[in-house]
Amino acid sequence: MASELQFINKLINSFSEIGEMKIIAKGDYLIKEGEIEKNLYWVESGAVRVFYLTEFEEHVIRLGYKNSFINSLSSFIKETPSEFFIEAIRKTTIKVISKEQLQMLVHENTDSLKQYLALMEILVTQQIDREIDLLITSPAERLKRVLARSPNLFQEIPLKYIASYLRMKPETLSRIRNS
Amino acid sequence: MQINKEQLISELLSLTERAIISVKKFKTLDITQLNFKNTPEQWSVLECIEHLNLYGDFYLPEMQKQLLETTHKGNFPFFKPGIIGNYFAGLMKTKNGKIKKMKSPKDKNPVSSVLSITTLDRFLKQAQLLQSLLQQALTADLTKIKTAISLSKFIKLRLGDTLRFYAYHIERHILQAEKAMGS
Repeated sequence: MASELQFINKLINSFSEIGEMKIIAKGDYLIKEGEIEKNLYWVESGAVRVFYLTEFEEHVIRLGYKNSFINSLSSFIKETPSEFFIEAIRKTTIKVISKEQLQMLVHENTDSLKQYLALMEILVTQQIDREIDLLITSPAERLKRVLARSPNLFQEIPLKYIASYLRMKPETLSRIRNS
Repeated sequence: MQINKEQLISELLSLTERAIISVKKFKTLDITQLNFKNTPEQWSVLECIEHLNLYGDFYLPEMQKQLLETTHKGNFPFFKPGIIGNYFAGLMKTKNGKIKKMKSPKDKNPVSSVLSITTLDRFLKQAQLLQSLLQQALTADLTKIKTAISLSKFIKLRLGDTLRFYAYHIERHILQAEKAMGS
C-alpha cells in the first residue's frame, strides 16, 4: 500500500481511538480568523467550508465533508493566527485530535515518519493542482477538474459554496451543469 | 466655501477609528444580541453593519480606482465642496447624536440577508481600507477627482464630498447600531 495511505489509515484509526467527538451546529465555527489552530479534524458526517474573508467577499478555499481531514493548516503548522474561518454548513459530527497527539503518532517510529513525509509530499502536489485550478479560464473545465477529484461534491455541498470554490457565479455554475 | 483638507482627513480618520472601536465592541456580544430587533422595522446591530458593508462594496472600489488612476496628485491644502456633494454630506451628518430618519435604497436593504459574525469582520476590513484611502487622499486633489455614486449613473461627486458622505454615513449607522444593542 502506498506510504501516504498507510499513514492516513493509521491516522483514521487514531481518530477512532483517541479522537474527541464533537457535534457542531450549522453556522458554528471550528476556527475563526486570528485564532491559532491547535487541532486536526476528521469529518464523520455533515460538511464544513474553509473560507478567506476579504472586504468584499467570503472566498471558499476548501470544502470538507464525510471522511475527510480538515483544519487551518498554515496556522496549525506555524502556530500563527489563522487566515481562515472554518464554518459548519450543516450539522456536523467531527473527531478532534490535538497537535501533540498528532506529533506522537508521527514520531512513533521511522516508518511513521516516512509515511508522514509521503503524505506531506502529496499535499504539496495537491496545492499545486489547486493553483492551476484557479488559472484555468474555462469555467466548464474548472468544474471538470474538481469533479474528477471529488465526484460526490454536489450531493454534499450547496451550489453557492461550490461556485465560490470554483471562482464563478452560482448562475454560471447552474448553466454549465444544465448544458 | 473652502475646507482645510488636513483637518478634514484628520476628522474622517478619527471618525473611522471610533467606528472600528465600536464594532470591535460588538464582536464581544453574542449572536442573539447582535440579531436583536426592537421592532420588525428597526434594524439589528448586524443589519446596520451589513448595510454599511453593502455601501462599501460600491464606494470603496470606486474611490480606490479614482485615487489610483488620477493625475491630480500633489499638494492641495484645500478642498472645495460641490453643491450636490455638500448636500449629500450634510444629509448624512449626525447632529448632537440624533439621526434623522431616512429611507434606504432597495438594493442596500440588509433585512433578511444572511448575517453572521463575519459581517462585523468584513466591516473592520472595509474600515482599514477606508483609512488607507484617507491617507492617500492627503496627496490628492479632492476637488478635481470625481467619483460615481450608487444612486445614479449621471451624477458624479467630488472625491472630497464622497469621502465626507461615506464617512458620515458610517457614523450614522454605527450610532444606530449602538442604540439597537438595547439593554
